Amino acid sequence: MLTHRHAEPQQPSRVVVLGSNGFIGRELVAYLREKGTSTLALSRKEVDLAADDAVDRLTFLLRPDDTLVFLAALTPDKGRGIAPLLANERMGAAVAEALERSSVGHLVYVSSDAVYPFRAGLISEDSCAESTDLYSAMHLSREIMLKQAAKAPVAVLRPTLIYGVGDTHNSYGPNRFRRAAHKDKRITLFGKGEETRDHIFIGDVVALIDRVIAHRSTGLLNLATGYSIAYADLAKMVAALFSEPIEIACTPRQNQITYRSFDVTAIHRSFPEFKFKLLEQGLATVQQHAKA
Amino acid sequence: MSTLPRIGYVGMTHLGICSAVAAASKGFATLGFTPEDDLAAALQTGRLPVVEPDLDALLRVHRERIGFSSDPVRLAECDVIYVAPDVPTNDDGSSDLSVLDELLLLTFAHARNDSIIVILSQVPPGYTRARCSGGRQSLFYQVETLIFGRAVERATRSERFIIGCSEPTQPLPTAFARYLAAFECPILPMRFESAELAKIAINCCLVATVSTANTLAELCESIGADWSEIVPALRLDQRIGQHAYLSPGLGIAGGNLERDLATVVQLGDANGTDVGVVRAWQANSRYRRDWVLRMLHARVLAMTEEPQLAILGLAYKENTQSTKNSPALSLLQALSPFKVVVYDPVVTPQSAWHPHLTSAANAIDACDGADALAIMTPWPQFKSLQPSQIARRLRGKLVIDPFRCLEPAACAAAGLEHHVLGRDFAL
Repeated sequence: MLTHRHAEPQQPSRVVVLGSNGFIGRELVAYLREKGTSTLALSRKEVDLAADDAVDRLTFLLRPDDTLVFLAALTPDKGRGIAPLLANERMGAAVAEALERSSVGHLVYVSSDAVYPFRAGLISEDSCAESTDLYSAMHLSREIMLKQAAKAPVAVLRPTLIYGVGDTHNSYGPNRFRRAAHKDKRITLFGKGEETRDHIFIGDVVALIDRVIAHRSTGLLNLATGYSIAYADLAKMVAALFSEPIEIACTPRQNQITYRSFDVTAIHRSFPEFKFKLLEQGLATVQQHAKA
Repeated sequence: MSTLPRIGYVGMTHLGICSAVAAASKGFATLGFTPEDDLAAALQTGRLPVVEPDLDALLRVHRERIGFSSDPVRLAECDVIYVAPDVPTNDDGSSDLSVLDELLLLTFAHARNDSIIVILSQVPPGYTRARCSGGRQSLFYQVETLIFGRAVERATRSERFIIGCSEPTQPLPTAFARYLAAFECPILPMRFESAELAKIAINCCLVATVSTANTLAELCESIGADWSEIVPALRLDQRIGQHAYLSPGLGIAGGNLERDLATVVQLGDANGTDVGVVRAWQANSRYRRDWVLRMLHARVLAMTEEPQLAILGLAYKENTQSTKNSPALSLLQALSPFKVVVYDPVVTPQSAWHPHLTSAANAIDACDGADALAIMTPWPQFKSLQPSQIARRLRGKLVIDPFRCLEPAACAAAGLEHHVLGRDFAL
């Protein structure tokens, strides 16, 4: 649950987006600039967090009244092994050290819902986080190191599966289904697609991050819609976006069926006026952009 | 003792007032003591600061046997003195025992040496024995089982008395035994710690049943079942019983049950015992409290510009003015950007609860122009509202009625989208 340092939203002095070239980073920078928020976009080109001079460069760039949004990470599609773990930890350590040396006004760390094990049931901010693999261990340890290092209010956001136009990943879900439907006229499911997941539109993710920034919120918030859908139903929804018939193919199940649902009461309480984009609308938006 | 003992009650909050009036109704001369002069004066003139069915009438009938005073010297008139202030709790359910401690010391100081002092307030295990050396008088602990909205019934027709004693094998003092016997119910003496935990055990059993009902009622809402059809089957099972708390609700509220759960968690952690199930009850309570908020977001707030909402009921349950941990107040807090019109038969809305709060003169007026209606407290008068009348006054058609004050069929006939706890809307 978040606590707002600003009861009414306020324009931040400057937002520094670390990891501005990723899926969320690009959308967030565009959103903030569109709103007229002073934004410093930092990708690996400007500050390579794995480089030896990362701490110095970041310390030099940060100002005491900045809001730092830390997005940079090697995502699971780059591997879930030890090497990406160590690289991610090193990046986190560099940011933590820079925060110890200098200060910012507000830190927003975008973690992941991977920190919740699948046996957690209905997930809320009260759910117990637990490292079930090196990727979730990385996010959990980063959360701790950043909270320890930052002298400013810290908001930790744990988004669930994000979909949207600029998604470069090809993870099992809306983006892969749409590409497969377009290319092969066929969507392939694991098993019969029984697993349920919550899919949040990228536009909603950046709008929520913007609200966290504007309220200078501190605490923990899961970024999810509260609406979970089986992959089989999601595939049907994606297929319906195409004028030609799309085959939905099942495959022999390799893994145990898992379910994931969120209690999003904390979002309703933190941002009562926030409205999620419905999954049908979000998928249609992505499809329109893809056609264009 | 040939004459009836005189009974004193110290601490004139909900528990003390209801218990004192019950004592007078059993024929005992009773003194109600409070250190607050204004409160004593108000009580003396028959003005009660609490709302309980039948309490005013019972006081009127037995008025000649009960007096109220703020003079502690008068405690020396009493043979049996109950120390009975309500013990407040903070947000995490922990008790603030300072008021009870102060009143207990005051009672020790002014009671006669041969008086019996009985702690009736809600205390954690270990509390009473730790106070045994505080005075010259015999000290006992008695479990209270007050239920807001049914306090008179509970105080006058107790199921049993659970008495905590320093030496449970010894007979109870004559005056105390005579007073208890007037209620004609079983008396169970036991060690202080057992009695203190017995109170918590009762509440844990209640919460376990409520939590089971809430958990399965929610499942009903998703799988085409109706919890109200299941409840009669459970009541006919002797292991569950006719009076089990099987009605689904909006979590645990009122403060007392939450206090006992917090006490068990604290005691379990301190003593290294497993209290995971109690933590699960607490989590379930928090989750169910927000059922209406989630429904409003899913059904109206997500798709309505500048919505207006009607809320009926602010008290945490019917027949009480208490709003402690009330789901309605929690809901209001989460609706701050929206226009809300409220009505409660007893509770006066406060501007601190919501920045755009309007109070209606009656239940049906609150519905005027609203996009949705939420009935947050099952006051009896809400059950007589006509769905057709509500439908005419609402702008939208959504009625969220967790306690099923309205008949689903009548609501459907009136064109309302009626949601209740434990019933799939598609039915």
